[in-house]
Amino acid sequence: MADSHYLDNEEKSVVIVMTSGPSTPHRCATPFYIGAILASMDSDVHIFFTMEGVMLAKKGVAENLAAMKDGKTILEFIRDAKAAGVKLHLCKPAMPGYELDVGDIIAEVDEISNAGALADLILSSDKSMYF
Amino acid sequence: MECNGCEFRSELYYDDQYQIWARREEDGTLTVGMTDISQTVAGKILHVRVRRPGTLRPIGKPVATIESGKWAGPVPNVFDCVIEEANHSVLEDPNLLNIEPYEAWIARVRPSGAVEDALSVMLTGDVAQAGYCERARREDIHCERGAR
Repeated sequence: MADSHYLDNEEKSVVIVMTSGPSTPHRCATPFYIGAILASMDSDVHIFFTMEGVMLAKKGVAENLAAMKDGKTILEFIRDAKAAGVKLHLCKPAMPGYELDVGDIIAEVDEISNAGALADLILSSDKSMYF
Repeated sequence: MECNGCEFRSELYYDDQYQIWARREEDGTLTVGMTDISQTVAGKILHVRVRRPGTLRPIGKPVATIESGKWAGPVPNVFDCVIEEANHSVLEDPNLLNIEPYEAWIARVRPSGAVEDALSVMLTGDVAQAGYCERARREDIHCERGAR
């Protein structure tokens, strides 16, 4: 029995900064997939939508976007991550640049956060990843 | 018994999302696996990792992780338990979960409290069947099994 089949990692905290958006759909599924795996391994995972990534939180965008032809939608990947325990933040300062209003946001977003919240997450998390 | 082609076994116990099943064993442990609905939603399962035997798993802390090409997530846990054993056949060949989800168990766990208390938070029988079918219909899930 390969030892790699067993999980015995410690609990960690991870922040994933999601800057990719609809112009690069092939970059938009994996961050949620890896977030779901990390959360399933007891990590406290936060995904922070900023820059073009905020567009994934706009109603109607992620549900019509897929990373590959005929593939699962990005919204489904987002929901899988949520179901695994990932918390989703939306960068408030980035919203005006993408003409995004609070009423346009998908229900999956947990919190609309300022840049200071992202800074706190980066400084306090064990690991940070950028997509 | 099935709904939308998803097999349901009334003698087993289920979480309220019908992601996992549990079976009571004579030695006081519970055997845990994925439902037909779960293996269908996941698609072809490529990798399974189980918490190391002897590990305490509180409520909400997964027993295992599952990865397929399109889905990644936990095998959830709804009661305090200790991992007793992993199914080595499934760890070596995760596709077994797609082929025979009710035979290909994932882990055996020992509840920290009484077995009855652990099972009391799960659903079984007619109530479970109604909820299982309701989920399959609500989410339009049509189960498909993997092939060897």
